[in-house]
Amino acid sequence: MEFRRIEEAVFKVLMIFSLLIVVGSLLAVIGIILWKGLPVLSIDMLTKTAEGGYYFGKGGGILNAIIGSLYLALGGTILAFFLSIGIAFYLQKEYSGGTRLSNLTRLCLDILWGTPSIVYGAFGFTVLMYFQMRASLIAGIIVLALLELPIMTRAMEEVIKTVPLELKEVSYSLGATRLETTLRVVSKQALPGLMTGVLIAFGRGIGDAASILFTAGYTDRIPTSLFDATASLPLAIFFQLGTPFPAVQQKAYASAVILLVIILAISITTRLLSRKYTKYIIK
Amino acid sequence: MSETHIQIDNVNAYYSGNHALKNISVQIPKKQITAIIGPSGCGKSTLLKCMNRLIDLTDEITYSGKILIDGENVFDKKTDIINIRKKMGLLAQKPTPLPMSIYENIAYGPRIHGLRKKPDLDNIVEKYLKLVGLWEEVKDRLNSPASNLSIGQQQRLCLARGLAVEPEIILCDEPTSALDPVSSQHIEQQLLKLKEDYTIVIVTHNIHQAMRLADYVVHLYLGELVEHGTANEVFENPKEERTRAYINGTFIPEYTIDTEVNLKGNECPYNFIYAKQALHKLGKGKILKVIVDYPTAVTEVPRGMEADGHNVLRVKQINESDWEILIRKN
Ligand SMILES: Nc1ncnc2c1ncn2[C@@H]1O[C@H](COP(=O)(O)OP(=O)(O)OP(=O)(O)O)[C@@H](O)[C@H]1O
Ligand SMILES: [Mg+2]
Repeated sequence: MEFRRIEEAVFKVLMIFSLLIVVGSLLAVIGIILWKGLPVLSIDMLTKTAEGGYYFGKGGGILNAIIGSLYLALGGTILAFFLSIGIAFYLQKEYSGGTRLSNLTRLCLDILWGTPSIVYGAFGFTVLMYFQMRASLIAGIIVLALLELPIMTRAMEEVIKTVPLELKEVSYSLGATRLETTLRVVSKQALPGLMTGVLIAFGRGIGDAASILFTAGYTDRIPTSLFDATASLPLAIFFQLGTPFPAVQQKAYASAVILLVIILAISITTRLLSRKYTKYIIK
Repeated sequence: MSETHIQIDNVNAYYSGNHALKNISVQIPKKQITAIIGPSGCGKSTLLKCMNRLIDLTDEITYSGKILIDGENVFDKKTDIINIRKKMGLLAQKPTPLPMSIYENIAYGPRIHGLRKKPDLDNIVEKYLKLVGLWEEVKDRLNSPASNLSIGQQQRLCLARGLAVEPEIILCDEPTSALDPVSSQHIEQQLLKLKEDYTIVIVTHNIHQAMRLADYVVHLYLGELVEHGTANEVFENPKEERTRAYINGTFIPEYTIDTEVNLKGNECPYNFIYAKQALHKLGKGKILKVIVDYPTAVTEVPRGMEADGHNVLRVKQINESDWEILIRKN
C-alpha cells in the first residue's frame, strides 16, 4: 500500500517537472525574443527593404525578407498541399488496398521526414547547377515543398484514418462512389485535422533556413518574378546575428519577432476559418 | 408465401479464414418485414452487409454464392454496385449523421445521383422529413448541424436520408439498440408503416422486437441458417430445437401471472390507461397479463409499457381476434 502511494507521488512530481520544463522553455524563448527584439522593432524594418550596407548598421529594413519568406512558404505549402492531399487519400485502404506500394510510400515519407534540411538544400543546389540555373524563388518553393511534403502527408494520413468507418459506410450505402465519399464526407470530417497538418508544415517551411540557403539565394530586393532570387526571414536572422555589430545583431531579434507574429497570425486565421466548418463534424 | 425480393443462394463468407456464414440460402419476401435473429457473433451483420456489399470495406473478406435482387447478382463483379446500393437504404445500429447540416444530410443522396435543382431538393427534404415525423421538430433549423439532434432524432434523420434515394429495400442493423424506449417505438412505428411500400430486413437482438415487427424470421446460429419461416411458424412452433432454445432462453418459459386484465372491447387510449392502472396496483417484479383485441393496442400497449420502464415479456396472439400481453412491473 505504502509503496504504491509513494510510486504515485513520484510520478506526479515527474510529470509536473516535465510540464514545467516544456512550458518554461517555451516562455523563455518567446520572452527573450520579445525582450531583445521589441525595443528595436521599428516601422522602417517592416516597410523598407535593406539598403546597401544594412548589414553594417546602415538604414533600411527587412521587407524584402518578409515578403520573400511569405512567397516561399506560401508557395511551398500550396504546392506541398496538392501533392500531400493526393498521397494521403491514396494511402487509404479504399484506394491503395493496403498494398506494398503504400507501405513503401510511407517508408519513403518517413525517411524524407528525418532528412536534415541542409541535405534538401544541397540536393536542390546540385539540380540547379546541373541545369545551370541560378538560385530563385521557384527553386526555393520547390525545395520547401519537398521539405514540407512528408510532414503534411503523414499528418493528413493520420487524420483521414480517424474518420469513422461508419461514416463511409453511410455514404457508400447511399450509392456514392469512392471519390464522392472522399471529397464530400471524409474530407469534411477530416477538415480541421487537415488544416492542422497544413499549418504544421507551413511553420516548418517558413522557419527553415538551410534548405533555401543555396536554392532561393539572398538579395536586398523584393522578387518580381519566380526566377528572381529572394531573401527570407530565417536567413535574414542568420546574417544579422552573424555581423560583428551589436545594433545589427539586435535587429535579428526584431526579425524573429516578426517571424513569430506571422506564424501566429496564420495559425489564428486558419483556426477562425476552420471554425466555420468544424461545427458539422461528427464526434 | 409472397413474392421473393432478395434471393440468397448458398452464401459463404470468411473473415481471413474465420467461416462467418455457412451455406446460407434463404428468400426474403417482398414488402414484408424480415427479422434476422440469433445470438451475438452469429453472422447477422455479415449477412446484411453482404446484401449491399458494404462487406467490401472489410479487410481480408472473401465470399461466394449468389444474392439475387431483381434478377441481378450482387456478388457479380460486373454488377453495378452503385445501383444496387441505391436500391437499399441502410439504418445502422448507431445513428450516424453525415458531417453536414440536417438539410444536407437528406440532400446528399439525391445530389450524388444527379439532382441539382434547389426547389426539387427542398421538396425531397421536406417530404422525407415529414415521412419520418421529424419535419415539425426541425423545420426551423434545417441548416444547423445534424449532430446537434438528439440520438432518437438522428436515427429518424438517418432513416429519412436512406429513403430519400428512393430505395426498394431497407436494411436495418439493430436500429433501435442505441435508442431510448420512446425513440425505439417511433422507429418501429415507422418501419411498420413503411412495409407497405418497402421490403424491410431488420437484424435484431430483441426477440420482442422481432415478434412485434416481423412477418418472416431468419434464425442464424454460429454462421449457420438454423431455421426460417413466417413469424407465426418460427415463434409459435419452431421446427428446430435450437430455435426453441433461443426463443426460450430469451424468455422465462413459465410465468406466474399475478393479475389478469381483460380489455377486450376497449379502444386505444383506454387500453393503455387501464393497463397502466392495473400495473400501478402491482408490486415490483409482479407480472400482469392483459388481453386486448383492438389492433393498435397490440403494438401500442407493449411500447407504452416499455417506455414506462417495464418489461414486456410476451406478445402473443391467442385466437382470431385476441392477443395476450405479459408485462413485468419494474
Ligand atoms: N471485421 C471483421 N474481421 C474479422 N472477423 C469479423 C469481422 N467482423 C465480424 N467478424 C466475425 O464474424 C462473425 C460474425 O460477425 P457478425 O458481426 O456478422 O455477427 P453479428 O451476428 O452481427 O453479431 P452482433 O449481434 O454482436 O452484432 C463473428 O465471429 C465475428 O467475430
Ligand atoms: Mg451485428
